[in-house]
Amino acid sequence: MLALITGGSGSGKSAYAEALCVKLQEKKQDIPMMYIATMYPFDEEAFRKIDRHKELRKNKNFEAIECFTGLKQVKLENPTTVLLECMSNLTANEMYQEGGAGEETVEEIRKGIESMCRQADNLVVVSNEIFSDGMDYDPETERYQRYLGAINQEIAERADLVVEVVYGIPLVHKGEEII
Amino acid sequence: MKLIIGGAFQGKKAFAEKLTGISPDQAADGMTCAYEEIYTAPMIIHFHEYVKRRIQENLPCGQLANELKEKNPEIVIVTNELGYGVVPVSAFDRRYREDTGRICCRLAAEAEEVWRVYCGIGTCIKGEKS
Repeated sequence: MLALITGGSGSGKSAYAEALCVKLQEKKQDIPMMYIATMYPFDEEAFRKIDRHKELRKNKNFEAIECFTGLKQVKLENPTTVLLECMSNLTANEMYQEGGAGEETVEEIRKGIESMCRQADNLVVVSNEIFSDGMDYDPETERYQRYLGAINQEIAERADLVVEVVYGIPLVHKGEEII
Repeated sequence: MKLIIGGAFQGKKAFAEKLTGISPDQAADGMTCAYEEIYTAPMIIHFHEYVKRRIQENLPCGQLANELKEKNPEIVIVTNELGYGVVPVSAFDRRYREDTGRICCRLAAEAEEVWRVYCGIGTCIKGEKS
């Protein structure tokens, strides 16, 4: 099953997504889940964020790997529940990192999601709401919003479950019957 | 405790008055009130500005939800919902919107009712539809 979890900054979307994974993995508790971390640690603030997330995940039986670009290359040894966090970073990495997909970012990420869906029991994707503050941005930032908006829509279209998390409260947009 | 959230200029205060009967004139204003007012006021408006001032003055915010639960459990909190835009360039802005979010997560967990106001229309996203 594929789930898309979105929310703004500090909305509690990660904690919700982790709890969802734990629930999805209930019947295979002895098998570790996989956490795909996409944030490239470029400064002190990024390291602090990463530490906070490690603390959140502690004792939840996640094995973490890093994937900054090229999601479709990631191979699972065994089917399990996979948490990918977060799509906004993966998108920015593909757009701007050397060796990233650049203008082919949306297509590259589509292939990555398809590949992971074929391998995983469950794939939970965390993404960001970066579309609603009414500001006008420079064309490059707008391109980033456009790509991430397209990716979110594509994942939501395929997904069995789509949840927007508002201050820790899940608003289910699709798949209410699943949870 | 009731938490009323939404974007800027969505009619949150008017909605809050309609919902609770408390006029914004009786409320503490997060932009200007003394920090202690939050423990006695029936309502606080511009709560995000209250948090912003505390962060600017390096006052701790982590216990706010607990303190309110203990000292002013009936308070109505009206706040902008932040964090739905592109990551800000300024480190302070990033911290402000993330910290406000974390505090509001705790308030939402404590609140009996959480309402999200859009175009003046409130949707109950937690608790009884009163």
